[in-house]
Amino acid sequence: MKSTSYSEKVLDHFRNPRNVGEIEDADGVGKVGNPVCGDLMWIYIKVGKNDKGEEIIDDIKFKTFGCGSAVSTSSMVTEMAKGMTLDKAYEITRKDVAEELDGLPPIKMHCSNLAADALKAAIDNYRTGAEPEVEITTSCQLDTQLILGVEKFVGKGVYKEIPTNLEDLKDKRILILDAGDESLEFALKLTEVTNRVILLTSAKSIPGSVELRMKLKQSEVKILQQSDLLEIIGQLDEVEKVLIHDNDEDENYELTVDAVILLDYRG
Amino acid sequence: MSVYLDYQAAKPVDERVVKEMLPYFNKDFANPASLHGHGDVATEILSQSRKKVADFINAPDAEDILFTSGATESNNMALIGSALKNKRKGDHIIISEIEHISILNIGKYLEQQGFAVSRVPVDQYGIIKLDILKKLITDKTTLISISTASNEVGSLQPIKEIAQIANEKKILFHTDAVASEAVIPIDVQKIPIDLITFSSNDIYGPRGVGALYLKKGVRINPIMIGGGQEKGMRSGSENITGIVGFAKAAEIMKSVINEEASSLKKLRDKLISGVLETIPKSHLNGHPEKRLPNNAHFRFDYIEGESLILSLRDENVSGATGSACSSKTLEASHTLLAMGLLHEEAHGSLLFSLGRFTKESDIDRAIGVLPGVVKRLRKLSPLTPPEFLKEYK
Repeated sequence: MKSTSYSEKVLDHFRNPRNVGEIEDADGVGKVGNPVCGDLMWIYIKVGKNDKGEEIIDDIKFKTFGCGSAVSTSSMVTEMAKGMTLDKAYEITRKDVAEELDGLPPIKMHCSNLAADALKAAIDNYRTGAEPEVEITTSCQLDTQLILGVEKFVGKGVYKEIPTNLEDLKDKRILILDAGDESLEFALKLTEVTNRVILLTSAKSIPGSVELRMKLKQSEVKILQQSDLLEIIGQLDEVEKVLIHDNDEDENYELTVDAVILLDYRG
Repeated sequence: MSVYLDYQAAKPVDERVVKEMLPYFNKDFANPASLHGHGDVATEILSQSRKKVADFINAPDAEDILFTSGATESNNMALIGSALKNKRKGDHIIISEIEHISILNIGKYLEQQGFAVSRVPVDQYGIIKLDILKKLITDKTTLISISTASNEVGSLQPIKEIAQIANEKKILFHTDAVASEAVIPIDVQKIPIDLITFSSNDIYGPRGVGALYLKKGVRINPIMIGGGQEKGMRSGSENITGIVGFAKAAEIMKSVINEEASSLKKLRDKLISGVLETIPKSHLNGHPEKRLPNNAHFRFDYIEGESLILSLRDENVSGATGSACSSKTLEASHTLLAMGLLHEEAHGSLLFSLGRFTKESDIDRAIGVLPGVVKRLRKLSPLTPPEFLKEYK
């Protein structure tokens, strides 16, 4: 079955998604998925009480990045849960959502059918009274001793200090590790010679001073948050790839780069 | 109005080609192997067709053309056939990281069979790194296979230089020319290429037929064994109807290729500037100049490609994406990742490929609907920064 062989109901929810948006003073927020995999869903709930005094979902909204079925399942789960008691809503499964949509292509059953999980996460978030996620803006200190391959590639694509000649990095794909404001400023400077600058930070949000954060947001610098550099990989004495750990998903993946800049190296 | 901008995936068969093919379904249907008069007619048309395809690439001898069932088979013949033939000389083959999936998978297959396969990396524009290619060559290397252009992002590869390197080192050089054959002429007497893969459909001929150009003196093992057709290199009764169509398509293509490429380039440039100017946070993937004249490959921040294609479908506009969500394996495009794009960037990619029947009104329509579609999806996406949305006109 082709990934786009969707039921009419899926297509309807994709074309006219219900309950799109955010709730500013939400009682619970659920965030699931990972942009690396291509699906990310955020669900916001507002909790009220019905005549019997049971807690119900008074209002629910969503935002989704992903394929057609990711959008449709999010829309459907909000429609199903609206007005339901929390207990009932908590029992909604992925299968229920798929059935309400007259089925999903088999390949989409797992990857893009996260809406029920997002709803559960939102209810959990409300019940545990956990603070809505707070932005962490400080960078975690870099521990270069844990990065494999640094010594092997120094002078062959790995820079431990700011290179004197920027032209050496022209048109290169560069990974720069967040090591405080100096590294952030240099990341911005690099965009003058290449359009592939990736900033890696273990922080949950964009690091740096308010001014630098604004500049970074508007720049071409790509920022990978909640991530650690594990290894620098290459053949023929040249950096080719880096192995990155996504702390949020607890997953490793590779990224193709030409140069790695580690300013705070103390290995 | 329906707009088709996915010529890289499939092309319509030219009306003139269809007309040329018709008599060979039921009138002149005989097998060229037969000794009777009907068979002679088939032998004659087969030889004329071979000449036309040879002329298309200026091959000195029509016998250098072997007909196959298409590009995938030609690639299998070239890689597996030469690997087997040269096994005693060496067991090392070089391909690139951005080859068509058929070459990549043949590479994996050869590795399973005990061969060593190296993959040349590419730069951020998707162009192979020549210096690394040179360093990868060993005295065990028997074949280099690099396509003329990326079938995804359209980056043109330095074929002339690769041919030179291979020639100097006495290594066979194969190129898959499918992505470029309708827009960039190939002259095998100017560039020393040993093996070239062609597809009929990619020059507006019928599907299910293709060719492998095999330079005089180059030896490979056959991989299709049987009745010994195509000089024993590719057994199986000749697909005369398809071959006649392929030959007609090649003949037409040769006469219009330069003119067609330059008008497609104008349309493509209009599409690229139209999209980049009207959609904020949109980017062109691949090289700005060194790209196929009919290829426009974009990426849009904060959104995912399959939902983009679905939305465009509702507007009757057809394109393609490198997003994992649209593939069978749920893996993002290997080409975009090899260029150093992040997974989420690869997800937001969109390929528009133009062809012979693309009209300016098609381009206008695509430029017209795309901004609205992108904006709607960005409004749905949690990745879109609120301050960006606020100023999003």
